[in-house]
Amino acid sequence: MSQDDEKWGIAHVHASFNNTIMTVTDLTGAETIAKSSGGTAVKQNRDEASPYAAMQMAESVAEEVKAAGITGLHVRVRGPGGNLQKSPGPGAQATIRALARSGIEIGRIEDVTPIPHDGSRAPKGKGGY
Amino acid sequence: MRVAVTGTPGTGKTTAADLLEGRLAEDDSLPDLEVVHLNRVLEREGLYTEVDAERESKVADLDALAEWLEGREGVVESHLAHHFEADRVAVLRCEPERLEERLLERGETEAKAAENAESEALDVVLSEAVEEHGLESVYEIDTTDRDPDGVADALEAVVTGDREPSAGEVDFMGYLT
Ligand SMILES: Nc1ncnc2c1ncn2[C@@H]1O[C@H](COP(=O)(O)OP(=O)(O)O)[C@@H](O)[C@H]1O
Ligand SMILES: [Mg+2]
Repeated sequence: MSQDDEKWGIAHVHASFNNTIMTVTDLTGAETIAKSSGGTAVKQNRDEASPYAAMQMAESVAEEVKAAGITGLHVRVRGPGGNLQKSPGPGAQATIRALARSGIEIGRIEDVTPIPHDGSRAPKGKGGY
Repeated sequence: MRVAVTGTPGTGKTTAADLLEGRLAEDDSLPDLEVVHLNRVLEREGLYTEVDAERESKVADLDALAEWLEGREGVVESHLAHHFEADRVAVLRCEPERLEERLLERGETEAKAAENAESEALDVVLSEAVEEHGLESVYEIDTTDRDPDGVADALEAVVTGDREPSAGEVDFMGYLT
């Protein structure tokens, strides 16, 4: 693999109703480089503090990631907090913006939100996927 | 009045709605509301557009279902119920590992159980319900340690107006880490 590949990682962003957590791995997903600590992104006051807490979390993870020599991140978003336009949760958008602002290059952004289903499911696009 | 009963598959909607149906029929002090199992309507009337082969799941025709529901009162039970008009929306919740166990016990595949558990951990249905109906219309009910009768009690309270709206009181993200 080229040296470029060695500088890239994947940010796995999980965005729920009132919480956002992030794990950064290498490109294979096998090695964890950084993890948002529970403390920074615990249940927030959703009206005010949520995007701010998500941002703070992203900033502290960004420092760890840069210290590990990573220069760019592909982003995999799971969860409605990252999808719904008027997102009830802090959302992944604030997280991604904070990563970019800290000087990390952002590559592909992929939405891998799971779909609740039994014998039926909603069409994609409903609920924002 | 229309009450939607939604929640990730495996949270116990059908079980609790069946119990509620019996109570609504027998107890004169309760409103005389019909219980609609929307998945059965979808199957019976063929109200889907295609089949998701990977998930073995029919892709709901939401417009056709909305049309079928038009003018109908009652309790609408399905994990799709929050995609339609409703006066109140009950969202059943279950800790994801327990949800997974319930689904496997019901005979679902591991892939199905896992994707639904992840959906539940990420509050997918709750978020959609709040998005579409607002915090003032959503009633979150944690079924993790409630038996079906207890869940039916909670649903009954939503129907009779004896419960306050709530959302985001559980945090199931621990399942993901
Ligand atoms: N309150 C409960 N506690 C424990 N298990 C339950 C409860 N409600 C339902 N179950 C079991 O969990 C499985 C899923 O219930 P079901 O009513 O089919 O859920 P849903 O309609 O939400 O998909 C069934 O096997 C059922 O017997
Ligand atoms: Mg059911």
